[in-house]
Amino acid sequence: MTKLQKGLVMGLLCFSLAGLSGPLWAQNPPEDSTGEIIALLKEQNSALSADLRRIQREIAALRADLDKPGIKDVFAGIGYIFGLFGAAAFAASRRRE
Amino acid sequence: MHISDGVLPLAVTIGGYAASAGLATWSARRIHSRDLPKVAVVTSAFFVASLVHIPFGPTSTHLLLPGLAGALLGPAAFVAIGLGLLLQSVLFQFGGITALGANAVMMGVPAVVCGWFFQQFKGRTQARQAIAGGLAGALGTALAAVFLAALLVAGGEDFFGVAKLALAAHVPVIVIEGVISGFTIGFLARVKPVLLQSSFQDAAGPMHD
Repeated sequence: MTKLQKGLVMGLLCFSLAGLSGPLWAQNPPEDSTGEIIALLKEQNSALSADLRRIQREIAALRADLDKPGIKDVFAGIGYIFGLFGAAAFAASRRRE
Repeated sequence: MHISDGVLPLAVTIGGYAASAGLATWSARRIHSRDLPKVAVVTSAFFVASLVHIPFGPTSTHLLLPGLAGALLGPAAFVAIGLGLLLQSVLFQFGGITALGANAVMMGVPAVVCGWFFQQFKGRTQARQAIAGGLAGALGTALAAVFLAALLVAGGEDFFGVAKLALAAHVPVIVIEGVISGFTIGFLARVKPVLLQSSFQDAAGPMHD
């Protein structure tokens, strides 16, 4: 890798980092009034906790769904039943011979 | 209505296992090998029926079908129900594995009683068979609720309170099972009456498996 390429990569990296939106305190320079910042933070916090509650509810619903027997369990059971009775029929037919 | 783990005292748990082992042996000896496919199909139907939920007010109950299994299988119903319950507790987590014996007694004995009842009263005509089947279906669930109460009494509950509660909770199931069993048996009486001859009568001789 030549020096030029390295420089180009570094430049691109710096450029993209500068373009990223930083955290709140970086977007709003510290000379803003602190009250405004705290209000913004509180707003974000409440939005996040609402999101979190929704996700927790969804996880609980998912877990309840997972507890319910699915189609796999149904067919597994039917397969067991037919298999066992098949084995019984086989044994019975062997005994009769 | 499945009893869960840890509800029943130890003596009742062991007694349930002992009684259901004895009954299962008696029942298995009554199965003729030519009836095995029928027993397998009814067992699967019983196994799956518990997934059919009936919404009822705030709660929901599910089908049980001991009466129908008894009417179709006669004495073999006990094996069918025991195996169905075992697989339900393993695969669906319905009822505990330690309470399996008690659960089998609770549903299997009513099934055999219903089978006997159906054979006694089925008569000759299709309509009468359908009605007897419907009554057997309703009777099976009602008896199972009474057995449930009797088993819970052993855990220190008051019999009439529990029995009333169990019966009240299962009234819709009793009605629906009666209707379903009646229609099923009416249909079978029309298309395949041979299926309705269970082996209470011809079980005198030595049986194969």
